[in-house]
Amino acid sequence: MTDYWLSKLFFDLQRPEAAAEYRADRRKVLARYPLAPDVVTAILADDLAFLAPRVNPYLLRYYFGAAGVAEDVFLAKLRATGKEAKHG
Amino acid sequence: MAEFVGAFAASHAPLIVRDWNKFAPVRRGEITTAFRELGRRVAAAHPDVLVVLSPDHWVNFFLDNLPSICIGLGDSHEGPPEPFMKDFPYRPVPGHAAFGRHLFATALAQDFEPSASHYLTLDHGFCIPLSRIELENLPRIVPVIVNDLEPPMLSVRRCLEWGKLVTRAIESYPEKLRIAVFATGGLSHSIGEPDMGRIDEDFDRACIQVFQDGRDASLVEFLERRMAAAGNGTHEVRNWVIAHAAAGSCGFDLIDYRAVPEVYVGCGWASWRR
Repeated sequence: MTDYWLSKLFFDLQRPEAAAEYRADRRKVLARYPLAPDVVTAILADDLAFLAPRVNPYLLRYYFGAAGVAEDVFLAKLRATGKEAKHG
Repeated sequence: MAEFVGAFAASHAPLIVRDWNKFAPVRRGEITTAFRELGRRVAAAHPDVLVVLSPDHWVNFFLDNLPSICIGLGDSHEGPPEPFMKDFPYRPVPGHAAFGRHLFATALAQDFEPSASHYLTLDHGFCIPLSRIELENLPRIVPVIVNDLEPPMLSVRRCLEWGKLVTRAIESYPEKLRIAVFATGGLSHSIGEPDMGRIDEDFDRACIQVFQDGRDASLVEFLERRMAAAGNGTHEVRNWVIAHAAAGSCGFDLIDYRAVPEVYVGCGWASWRR
């Protein structure tokens, strides 16, 4: 269930200047993309478990880096999603 | 006529560059030694052109345009855009447009349907191995992007056919050139998935064995059964399959294999006999 516009946002944020703008004002950047309301909510909440099934895993990693999340924090959240899935 | 002069493979990982100074000296030494030995073998083959097979890590292509295989036809290509690759020494990267066009035309004439680009941006997947093998002079390259990132992807069987096609294109090219094939990527790794960082050493060692054995049927059976479960990055082994078939499926010489948790990748370096 790939979300095209969510993926496009993550793809675009690979550019350092776009990432800098995003870190400064997330809502301003998000307004340029036709994202579903629940997707916007998940983005603003850094809800990795919601976002992960909707994008390519490489884009997911790029995104959290672009959003300013340290890799060890990203890894901890990511691994927690696996544990949640295993335990239902 | 042109001549096939060798096939080679090496893993890549952004952290090989980004975190290089954080690695223990022993680890840096292992990786450096493996890349240098691979570079020595590439140099010994004296290639005029390298056909380099690598994935595109969301640099050239996106979901609106996602070729399974794209051949670079340019006289030059853009170097890596990732900030951590700013010291990459070859900018622009020299291409070999004439052989690229010949490979493209040969593919179409033989019922393959690649995409083509006259100007590609070559990300770390291409450029880390190309710089780390430390060639005195980088040959002109024909980049071939293989979709190893976003399903659906080429079947392993089709990768074998692509490898044979590359060699037929080399051997039918009218100019006297020495052309080698260089695959990058693999072995096992998982990126952006809940098991990110897991390296499947059991898969890697079994994978190396089937490449060494050189039997295509076993290679196809093994990879179709095991590759997906070894992590999403493991799909890059497709590039090795193309190199393997280009070399005539005769088995390869493993230079080194290391599970490198510092870069999240089971790293392999190899060259093929022919």
